[in-house]
Amino acid sequence: MSRAAVVLCGGYSSRMGRAKAWLPWFGTSMIEHVVSCLRPVVDEVIVVTSAELELPELEARVVIDGEIGGGPLVGIREGLAAATSEFAFVTSVDAPFLNAKYVEALFSLGAAAAPVSEDHVQVLSAIYPCAAWRNADNHLRRGSRRPLRLLEELDYTAVSSDSAVAWCESEGPRPWHGFNEPKEYLEAVRALDPTATVELEFLGRAANRTGPSRGRYPVGTLGEVLARAESSTSLTSGSSLIENGRLRKSHLVCLGGRALVRDLSIPLGPDELVSVIDALAGG
Amino acid sequence: MKGFHGCYWRFDLSRNCGERIAIEDSVLRQTLGGVGLGAWLLHKEAPVGVDPFAPEAPLIFSFSPLVGTRFTTSAKFAVVAKSPLTGFISDALSSSHFAIAGKSMGVDAIVLVGACVENSELVDGRLRPSECWGLSAEETAGRLARFGRVAAIGVAGEQLVRFANLSTEGRHAGRGGLGAVMGSKRLKAIAIRGEVATEIANPDQVDQLVRRLRKRASGESTAKYSELGTIANVLSFDRLGTLPTRNFQASHFEQADRLSAENWHGRRAHKRTSCASCTIGCEHQFAFTSPRQSEESSRANGDQREKKQTRIEYESLFALGPLCGIGDPDVVLAAASRCDELGIDTISAGATLAFAMECGERGLLADAPRFDDPDSLLGWLDDIAHRRGLGDRLAEGSRRLAGAIGQNSIDFAPQVKGLEMPGYEPRALQTLALGLSVGVRGADHNRSGAYEADFSEDVDRLCGNASSAARAIETEDRAALLDSLILCKFVRGAFEDFYSDCADILTAVTGETFGPERLRSVGKGIVDLRKAFNIREGWRPADDTLPSRFLSEPLASGPARGARLPKQRLDEMIESYNLERGWSADGYLPASRLAEIFEERLAVPTSVESGEGV
Repeated sequence: MSRAAVVLCGGYSSRMGRAKAWLPWFGTSMIEHVVSCLRPVVDEVIVVTSAELELPELEARVVIDGEIGGGPLVGIREGLAAATSEFAFVTSVDAPFLNAKYVEALFSLGAAAAPVSEDHVQVLSAIYPCAAWRNADNHLRRGSRRPLRLLEELDYTAVSSDSAVAWCESEGPRPWHGFNEPKEYLEAVRALDPTATVELEFLGRAANRTGPSRGRYPVGTLGEVLARAESSTSLTSGSSLIENGRLRKSHLVCLGGRALVRDLSIPLGPDELVSVIDALAGG
Repeated sequence: MKGFHGCYWRFDLSRNCGERIAIEDSVLRQTLGGVGLGAWLLHKEAPVGVDPFAPEAPLIFSFSPLVGTRFTTSAKFAVVAKSPLTGFISDALSSSHFAIAGKSMGVDAIVLVGACVENSELVDGRLRPSECWGLSAEETAGRLARFGRVAAIGVAGEQLVRFANLSTEGRHAGRGGLGAVMGSKRLKAIAIRGEVATEIANPDQVDQLVRRLRKRASGESTAKYSELGTIANVLSFDRLGTLPTRNFQASHFEQADRLSAENWHGRRAHKRTSCASCTIGCEHQFAFTSPRQSEESSRANGDQREKKQTRIEYESLFALGPLCGIGDPDVVLAAASRCDELGIDTISAGATLAFAMECGERGLLADAPRFDDPDSLLGWLDDIAHRRGLGDRLAEGSRRLAGAIGQNSIDFAPQVKGLEMPGYEPRALQTLALGLSVGVRGADHNRSGAYEADFSEDVDRLCGNASSAARAIETEDRAALLDSLILCKFVRGAFEDFYSDCADILTAVTGETFGPERLRSVGKGIVDLRKAFNIREGWRPADDTLPSRFLSEPLASGPARGARLPKQRLDEMIESYNLERGWSADGYLPASRLAEIFEERLAVPTSVESGEGV
């Protein structure tokens, strides 16, 4: 049986405030982590993304989902249609605890299959026949956007949570464990390493006012990390970067050299380099 | 109309005589001054298809309605000509008392045409044989100071280095080779003075607005420039993966920390100064130890190296530092200082050298300069300015050098339309990539501030799209207005409502009612006017693009690794931009556009009108 993996990462990540594909995960990005988990157990990896999201170099085929916001079934259809294998393991990109043994065991069932946890079918950690892209297309044409309906139509094998967990290489969070909000992501990070830290540096005028330009702080939201940095004795010489619960207009924050943000609720991940820069960059 | 004199001084260098020529109010209303008025005069005075070095090619100094008022940063002027580097319009701004002196002559612009019969200086309205040929612009200004405020060229301008600049009081009209145009006229310097006051329509209102702008421009909105200067960009750009390194082969420089404002302030002797009429004070001068240039000179000086001080901007720092792989602060500061003495544009100098370095690495150019070779940098700058050896070929700029080398080297020549690229990696700043591609002056970060969108949380800077067009247009239109009023771009953050505030200022100065929408329309008209000049000089849609490197190679390393800009994406952005401007999809203006703006007062030769546009 030939195997594919389909990774969905075209969503807006609106509750997270930043692209989930680029969330840091202990030295790598979430998309790179998930692809590297899957690569050993499949013949091909398909990443379904949006045209607006740039991804790092991946050992995977990238498919553009032209209907962003259409829900996961659209991405499943695109991924299954692009695959050349018989079956595909479909996962969302926010799957930090995914492991090869679990995916291998699911494939070994030789049919559509999904774990069921607390009465929830994990439709985004499941096996689908690749030919089912047509079924998905029919569902979408009828206005049905729930992947569970597709699985039901495929007469999927429900795997109990305990069985699925037993397949895993180690104890800990479940392999389908995902996150939509900053708090959930940070809990996942702390579950793996309670002492995880971010590296915060102040550049431009912020550096001029604060003196020491770099420090390490426990992972948290941008607001939490900045507040900790400002409350430490070495960084109190300048005026606060937070004003009325918001980052001052004069500054911007760069995450890992990529996204520029000002939203204090955005989560900062393990070992992430977070640079506070002048908003008037350029000129 | 108040705020203007309604005329320009046209001086024919071939005949050694000048005359005043009227400018109608309707033209001034649509062009204002600076780059707007300069572009209009260029249309009017430059014969179609003129060689930039031909005597007939005009060299224009264009003032503005705000010159002579107390508005902060208003002592500015534009120098406009057909660029010998690009063959298209070049309009560079500079700041100094030269602007105030020019306006005090009772004119809104000075247009130089013709060419001197011998190396000359224009002083007190007459030519005289040059006593300063071979001197730096600064030395020349010192010699001619008794005749007024001086604009002069250095050795590079005399030698027709295609990226020679033109200097006043240590500031430069830097880009596009305007100094070479002056050199081609065998004119070393022009010294001007006058006593004509410019009438202001509503002095009380102007005073009030002056105070308001000064107050706003003294706070957070300009603090970056006054506290650290533009070199604060170095480390931020490095962290963002937008610091062009080794001829744009990378966007992250391993020695960026050595060149950072954060490290220099407090550790390197430093002073801050301002241009005339400026309350910001963005000019940061740093001390450096002049590197040893040769064994011979070190023996002569007993190895005592000279200590100097020079002003430095980000663009000079990036071009002479990371772009050439050089991280030694003393060398980079010395190189910037040397460019000023020789009279060459630091960006084009650094970028052309960096291009030659990569050509050398690839075995395409013999005896080429090398990356990471601080000891030879100053020597190469001297060779360029004096057109010695390989320096003669480098003095032609990267596009012509690539043409001579061939072997597809044009694919990685860092230029657009012949103008070398500024210090922004376009693959990691894709709104600016559009701005650089469509810039009428060439790769231009001053007439397009599209990087402002990229340096915000509003766009994904690594993935441009059709919405980038509106953002690029907005910054171009604003720049056109600021560059014509003229106010420094560093006050751009000091406006509460940009168009309304500018309208208030212009209305108080001129007595004409300029509403915000009208000014927005004026800004767009100036952009159109500049583009129209290029079209009449042979612009083609294929000119609006980036070198192949940027469209075929993803960034291989650094924070923006993997960032790519596929040609199709850029082409789509350009098409969106053209259509949103009201031009044809491939970038031609509607044939009626200039007539709409200028009520057919602008003579556009019919020979350059096509079915699609002018």
